[in-house]
Amino acid sequence: MELMQPLNEQQVIANLRQRDDASDRYYAAWWLGKMRSQHPEAVPLLLDTLSALSDEPVDEEDRGVAINAIRALGLLLNPAAHDPLMHMLGSKDYSVREEAARSLGAMKAKAAIPQLCQLLSGGPAAAGKEQVGASTLKEPCEALLEALGNIGVNNPDVVAVITPFSDHPRPLVRAAACRALLQLMKEQRWANELEQLLQHPEPLVRRGVLLDLGASGWTAALPAIENASVEASLKLVALRGLAEQSDDIKVLDVMDRLL
Amino acid sequence: MTASDLQKAVLALDRATMTSEIVQATQTLCGLRNLEAAPTLIKVLGFNNPAVGAVATQGLIALGRDVVPILLVSLDVGNYGARAWVIRAIATLRDPRGLDLLEHALNADIAPSVRRSATRGLAEMELEGPSFFKDFSRCSEALFKAAADDEWIVRYAAAFGLEQRFCQNSTDTGLRTQAIAHLEQLSSNSEAVKVVKQRAKLALQRLQAE
Repeated sequence: MELMQPLNEQQVIANLRQRDDASDRYYAAWWLGKMRSQHPEAVPLLLDTLSALSDEPVDEEDRGVAINAIRALGLLLNPAAHDPLMHMLGSKDYSVREEAARSLGAMKAKAAIPQLCQLLSGGPAAAGKEQVGASTLKEPCEALLEALGNIGVNNPDVVAVITPFSDHPRPLVRAAACRALLQLMKEQRWANELEQLLQHPEPLVRRGVLLDLGASGWTAALPAIENASVEASLKLVALRGLAEQSDDIKVLDVMDRLL
Repeated sequence: MTASDLQKAVLALDRATMTSEIVQATQTLCGLRNLEAAPTLIKVLGFNNPAVGAVATQGLIALGRDVVPILLVSLDVGNYGARAWVIRAIATLRDPRGLDLLEHALNADIAPSVRRSATRGLAEMELEGPSFFKDFSRCSEALFKAAADDEWIVRYAAAFGLEQRFCQNSTDTGLRTQAIAHLEQLSSNSEAVKVVKQRAKLALQRLQAE
């Protein structure tokens, strides 16, 4: 490949198909998602990369390509990926379950709801349990909760699975639960919880909560977002979420003030 | 106020080590409302500490347009953080002496947040005097360029900016026609980001309602 030459779609497809250079495949999987490729071979080739995840042992480079492919499938929104991604929720690999949940959430894949709920079953003490010697919980709870909120089916079973996580010891898990409950139930009390979390002393928590409020599409949170102690660039990202879901000119006025 | 207040404040800042102490010392320095504190406040912008940078920037803005020449000569181009704050301060002060700097920032800066601030500055700059028409045209051309930026937030700022720049009817009709064409492009399906389309549509409605 020549240096500094921008890739075209045909080349990227060829790069994903070949098996010699893993870094070209890795970049190709990312590129197809980023560029929202509509090439007819994009989705089948991305799905092909997933088979490497069932090898014993899994090759590290192939795993990286597959995880990028899962993310790309979440951007391409092709329903042909629903079943394969749901299969990935059963993977032994935490990151694979996490990325599959995010992509299924982005695709609003209703069929994934029972499995997502299953992974969260047992609540904070089981799925949400801290793991000795690791920074992760037993399950990728934030991704699973966000997926249920994004898919947007409000029924008592789903709400019963999510609600206990609003008391999880980790603030970002609490925020993910409140965000999902706000999306599903559209009740101010969950926005209040998020606005309270937005006062958290840790900047990283405030940033995460701010994006959760934006993603919720809850316009009543507009003043809280505008006045949060977070940099303007991130407020604008959160407000983009709010504006695109609500079509409310008030959101654009606040964005104008933050430019 | 005496000279020693300034000296005391600068000394306190030199001694401060924790963020809370630096913020406190910077606030004291801002509270003096003294142009001679400006070089020290500009130095503070380079500390790469967002809390401190925000306070110092507000302090510089509060000094008014007299601070603009000082900002222009003390700009540390090698320090990304400091550059971003200076661009923001100059944009907020709307001073036409900042035109070269904002134009250059929009064309050449790699940070989207800097190009965004520069775009807002070019939209809101208060133009006057014999160079009005020339400067108006330069601001407009810069906004047209911003409308084609790779980053959505810069295109959003361009939609906002074109509305600000052309909301008075008395302006150059050739440029106005181009501005409308850019806004139409940003509000069409060739624009991938919904919020940019939303803002461009709003700008068109407001400009065409006049």
